[in-house]
Amino acid sequence: MPAVVRVEKLTKHYFLESVVVRALRGVSLTVEKGEFVALMGPSGSGKSTLLNVLGCLDRPTDGRYVLGNDDVSRMDDDHLSEIRSRYLGFIFQSYNLLPQYTVVENIEVPLLYQGCRINDKTTKRCIQLAQLVGLGDRLDHRPMQLSGGQQQRVAIARALVNDPQVILADEPTGNLDSKTSDEIMQMLIRLNDAGKTIIMVTHENDIAAWAKRVIRMRDGMIESDELNERPKVAQESVTAAFSENLHSLLSEAIQ
Amino acid sequence: MNDRVNRFLLFWDKSSRSLVLALRSLWLHKLRSFLSVLGIIIGTVAVITLMAFGEGNMQDALEDIKKQGATNVIVLSVKPPDDASSQRRTMTLNYGLTYADYEGFLLLDTVVGSVPMRIFPQEVRNLDKMFNGFVVGTTAAYQNVNKISLVEGRFLIDADDVKDPGDGNELRNVCVLGASVAETLFPFQSALNKSIVLNKHHFVVVGVLKERGTVTNASGNAEDFNNQVYIPLSTCRGRYGEKIYIRQSGSRMGEQVELHQVTLTISAMDKVRDAGAAIADRLKQSHFKKDWKVVVPLDRLEEAERAKARGMVLLFVIASISLAVGGIGIMNIMLATVTERTREIGIRRALGAKRWDIMLQFLIEAMVQTTVGGALGTVAGITLVFVMPWVSAAMFNMNLPAYLKWEPIALSMGVSIGVGVFFGLYPAYRASQLDPIEALRHD
Repeated sequence: MPAVVRVEKLTKHYFLESVVVRALRGVSLTVEKGEFVALMGPSGSGKSTLLNVLGCLDRPTDGRYVLGNDDVSRMDDDHLSEIRSRYLGFIFQSYNLLPQYTVVENIEVPLLYQGCRINDKTTKRCIQLAQLVGLGDRLDHRPMQLSGGQQQRVAIARALVNDPQVILADEPTGNLDSKTSDEIMQMLIRLNDAGKTIIMVTHENDIAAWAKRVIRMRDGMIESDELNERPKVAQESVTAAFSENLHSLLSEAIQ
Repeated sequence: MNDRVNRFLLFWDKSSRSLVLALRSLWLHKLRSFLSVLGIIIGTVAVITLMAFGEGNMQDALEDIKKQGATNVIVLSVKPPDDASSQRRTMTLNYGLTYADYEGFLLLDTVVGSVPMRIFPQEVRNLDKMFNGFVVGTTAAYQNVNKISLVEGRFLIDADDVKDPGDGNELRNVCVLGASVAETLFPFQSALNKSIVLNKHHFVVVGVLKERGTVTNASGNAEDFNNQVYIPLSTCRGRYGEKIYIRQSGSRMGEQVELHQVTLTISAMDKVRDAGAAIADRLKQSHFKKDWKVVVPLDRLEEAERAKARGMVLLFVIASISLAVGGIGIMNIMLATVTERTREIGIRRALGAKRWDIMLQFLIEAMVQTTVGGALGTVAGITLVFVMPWVSAAMFNMNLPAYLKWEPIALSMGVSIGVGVFFGLYPAYRASQLDPIEALRHD
């Protein structure tokens, strides 16, 4: 399997009022295509910083980060924005939908910034994605009119719309009750089964138990990196159909 | 080429998205938006109304000048203000333009037409009917200069003006009556070919004028053409002599004025001022007293232009102040918006928005606000331009001419958009420089 994310000796220092905070102290990591990685660790362990760097929202102080074929560790702001819009999908703890936009418009946003013209094909893709995550009857709703679980599903659809190389999830179930969390995790598992690479930050063992690989961090360094022998699995019945749908709708050209 | 078109279309996509979003949030915060663009609205209203009224004044002046003739120079006899002889009761006052002056004016090569006039009060009689009117001794050219039209008969013609009376070539006692004169002396009948008496001489009526409104004449008085009786200048000289006596409450006031007014037509508009100056020079040399006055109707235009220029200065000050206030209002609200929507900025950046995209979005938002403000101001301004003259006529009995042109409307709209860009620049820049991570954490 080809490596999607390659990180070598990554360091990140913050300067807070003449105090240097070493958030990352030499992290090396390789994630291959189709992996489902859970990043764990206590607060202050550097897992959020690592996720920000992996998400191209932040630049490392030192070290190398190769995403797909691009070395992004020294790119300027505009290029990083371009990388985010093309190769990355974000899922946040607090959903982070744009409140003024409808479901379909929210899903559309990354395409707009990627430089796609909004046309029938893109709209069709957005509607299909909304249907895929089970919101086919809520296309014109605003985020305020949706429940937390529904909002997070819109966010998942949005993270998929640009067919990203990596999906980065920052505590995706942090604001949800256990039943809804379960639904969201089922959905992530199905995405992973369909071949999507997922890196997820969480501090809940229950949630991490879904991932195939668990990385624990402490004090800006990787403490342990183990494969999960028996990850939780999604209900078989819908998985195959889901995967097929996703592939067919993402493979359709939109330009 | 194709690439550039494509990039433009992309730009258009993003811009129109921001535009829709801006309009949505404008509608969402109606009152807030209205208050923040109030300065822009007031500024636009001020620009449009002041320009319209200034322009109206100009048009009014132009209209006046058209009436008096834009290519005319009017020379008037003026009673000298401080004359020792006027204290002596029986002396006749001798002042004003002379026939020699008149002949001199005609020597100027830019003068293409001339109307000499004598005007004095005179009793007009028909049998037992009497009318206190004015006699105007003039020539045929008077008709064209004053744009006179007749009800019946004809005006004076050149042949009426007999220059050197002798055998078989007598002075012609013909006259043309003003509307009021004809009505009083010949009620319910035609005055044509009847005779009237002026100062013991009989005159045949050859024409009657159509009634016309009073006009502000060159010396600034309201002139009622309907009270006048027109006779040939030569006849006037022959029958009256040069002295004219006016009886007033027992005393006899005499004055000797050869010509009361001369209207000169100049060949071209741009030569009118020079001709006026030349005439004034000539009179200065030949008259010891200041018993004359040169009026150039075109000067009225200059006056209106000066008034307009003063108005423009005022306008500039008002517009600058209100647009600055409006702009600051926009800046204030945009800074608040940026803070309020920091989270949104973070989300957009995470989803791939470049700094420029964020900047563009907030610039468009500021522009939409000021444009809407400008549009509201334009509507209010145009309404005011239509309503104000009506109100001022109805309530203050004052004529307030207004003339709406498209330039000030376009200008104020353009300036509104410009203000949006200028004052939106800093907040938009601030928004674009936000750190995505910090912005995402903001709540």
